[in-house]
Amino acid sequence: MVWRVGLAACWFAFFWIVRDFQWSVVWRTAPFLLKGLGVSCLLTIVSVTLGMLGGIVLAAARLGGAWGVRHIAVAYIEIIRATPQLMVIFWVFFTYPALTGQTMSAWEAAIISLSMIAAAYLAEVIRAGLLSLPRVQAESAKVTGLSPVQTFIHVLLPQAVRNMLPALIAHFVMIFKITSLVYMIGLTDFFRATIIINNRDIAPYALYTTMAVVYFSCSYGLSFIVRRLDPKYTLVS
Amino acid sequence: MHWSVIWQYRSALWDGLILTVELSALSIAGSLSVGTVIGSLGAGSGFFLPRFARAYIELLRNIPVVVKVFFFYFVVGLDAFPSGVIALTTHQSAYIADVVASGFRSIAREQFEGARVLGHSYWEILRFILLPQVFRLINPPLTNQLIEVVKNSSVVMMVGVEELTFRTQQIESETFRGFEAATAVTVLYLIITLVVATAMSFLQRRWRHTGMQ
Repeated sequence: MVWRVGLAACWFAFFWIVRDFQWSVVWRTAPFLLKGLGVSCLLTIVSVTLGMLGGIVLAAARLGGAWGVRHIAVAYIEIIRATPQLMVIFWVFFTYPALTGQTMSAWEAAIISLSMIAAAYLAEVIRAGLLSLPRVQAESAKVTGLSPVQTFIHVLLPQAVRNMLPALIAHFVMIFKITSLVYMIGLTDFFRATIIINNRDIAPYALYTTMAVVYFSCSYGLSFIVRRLDPKYTLVS
Repeated sequence: MHWSVIWQYRSALWDGLILTVELSALSIAGSLSVGTVIGSLGAGSGFFLPRFARAYIELLRNIPVVVKVFFFYFVVGLDAFPSGVIALTTHQSAYIADVVASGFRSIAREQFEGARVLGHSYWEILRFILLPQVFRLINPPLTNQLIEVVKNSSVVMMVGVEELTFRTQQIESETFRGFEAATAVTVLYLIITLVVATAMSFLQRRWRHTGMQ
């Protein structure tokens, strides 16, 4: 009983404090911030989609490739996973002009670098998902006459996806948080939009609180949905 | 490919490396301390402390690092380097707290109850019995978290700390040899990561023979 009163007191204190923030700035610039949020979401979805394709290729190369192919896949995965994400973005942004002599737009650099990062992380998730299936699946598919590609697409991948759904969502959330790094190459995502507004109308408390609330609700909401889908799926990083 | 740029800027890259190592070391120390405390709270019994720890972990895990760095630099008003260290510490402490709490869950409850019966106080049990076992158990995920600290230190360049990623940007803006600079800095980051991973696996091998399993 006492703790409910204490919890209500905490909520009242919170709303009393945030009452003095300049929320008018947030309401006024909401369309611009929402556009930035849309850019973040679009970047995440495109990168995770391309990263899934790349991750499947890398996982397949790592599990069943020829001698040299396997090592290249492992080297790619380990290097991308050990390098800071901002460094990967810079590396992609600087490599294309060095190789072709033309500049790369911020959108292309963001999508390519985020897809490369997503592919490296998702390759590990997919590999773990494929390895979690019992061998009998692949063997019985081979016995019934399915080709390796057919086995992979129709038998192994659907079951593996069901197993690795929590980890997939966790990495989706991770990529969503990484999109805040495209600030450095000039792309206006949600983070950069908030900073631009803050530089123009100085309302740091309201804007940063909004940014924290939006990022938290998107990330936590996604992982909460997975937890509700099936109580078995609890996310442990 | 003009790789001589790297030799030309070797002192700048060396200064950047020193700053990155300083940032990472301070943040690793801070986040390990805070994370262990919060993780121990989160694994205990009781009503408020585990829930407070859970709220801390979930709140700080779901906010990007850049938001925290900018918060401590622009809103709280600290200097660039301290705001970077504090932001990295709070960010990674949430992840490390989660790892430590899961490590506590893996230890049998009989350890705690047996030590209690023998008359040890809670702090003695924590310090001499539970935490040593926890740290041996969680060595692999903890290595990943420490490498995450090194990787997240690169975002502190956004508020002006002149560490390795900043130097890449600097070399690109001064000589347009960004590709060579980015490759060299990537190799340097891989070396730092390798050092951290080797140190942790050395600790793991050294602790393996103490019979804690």
